[in-house]
Amino acid sequence: MAKKLSTEMVDLLGNYGHIGFTFVAAIFIGLGGGIYLDEHLFDGKTSPWFTFIGLAFGIFAGFKSLFDILRTPAARSKDKDSEG
Amino acid sequence: MEHPILFISLILEKLGLPIPHGPVGNTFLEQLCEPYMTYTWFVMIFLVVVGKLTLSNIEMVPGKGQNFWEYAIGGMYDFFNDNMGAELTEKLFPMIATFALYIAVANLIGLIPGFMSPTSSINTTLALTIIVWVTHHIIGIRAHGMAYIKHFLGPIPVLIPLMLPIELISNIARLLSLSIRLFGNIMAKETLLGILFMLAGAYFAPLPIMLLGVLVSLVQAMVFVLLTVVYFGQANEHAH
Repeated sequence: MAKKLSTEMVDLLGNYGHIGFTFVAAIFIGLGGGIYLDEHLFDGKTSPWFTFIGLAFGIFAGFKSLFDILRTPAARSKDKDSEG
Repeated sequence: MEHPILFISLILEKLGLPIPHGPVGNTFLEQLCEPYMTYTWFVMIFLVVVGKLTLSNIEMVPGKGQNFWEYAIGGMYDFFNDNMGAELTEKLFPMIATFALYIAVANLIGLIPGFMSPTSSINTTLALTIIVWVTHHIIGIRAHGMAYIKHFLGPIPVLIPLMLPIELISNIARLLSLSIRLFGNIMAKETLLGILFMLAGAYFAPLPIMLLGVLVSLVQAMVFVLLTVVYFGQANEHAH
């Protein structure tokens, strides 16, 4: 019982422990890309528009990576187990 | 912060080699003598020597050492097979299994006084991550050719202008999250242990953190390998 519990915990940590980090990384990549476009490519003429657009895309990308995590094989096999 | 005592650096210093005091050395020789470089080599030598000692004569009825490796390698092989298919596993098993063993040993070695984890430097983890990231694109391009771009276009043609940036951002975010997660966890463990040793090392204050450190080391190695396998599998399968 204890062994089963610990493997299950490691399983859960492995599959879902990185959700927070991936989410934040996506937002920062989007924001950083937007700031780069504004400040370096267009010399601040378009500021702050690309920053906001980049931030929006980053947030959407974060949510998308969240859904991707739910579609990983490990999560899918768990679904199958609960159905069958 | 107080410098930890790293015995390889001490030995190299006695031999007259320059040990850098900043995060990055100035000359080529100083960069080679960075603690994370020397300890990377230490982990490599450790793995090679242990493998040689335990597997030099393989028998039908395995002894202790061979039994351990059969269990570890067999477990990893089954795991990869389940998650990314037999064909990719045949091709990429040596690479991913090496990553798993290297990261696990490199994480755990930092718990011994006098050693540091090479993975507590962003240079090591970023190098590992870039290898994984480039490889998963190569797998995708080899499996699908030009049609690999469909992975980044989303399900509906009308939504392509919206989905392309999102997919690209979340793809590049893999590079960032995979490297910084491993680096952050291991560096936090190392720093916390160092501070606790300095403050109350005589009263066994670092002991509970060391216990957690074993768990964190193994889980982070597992997460890295699991995500590598998932990315490879996703790049290989057809676009949704």
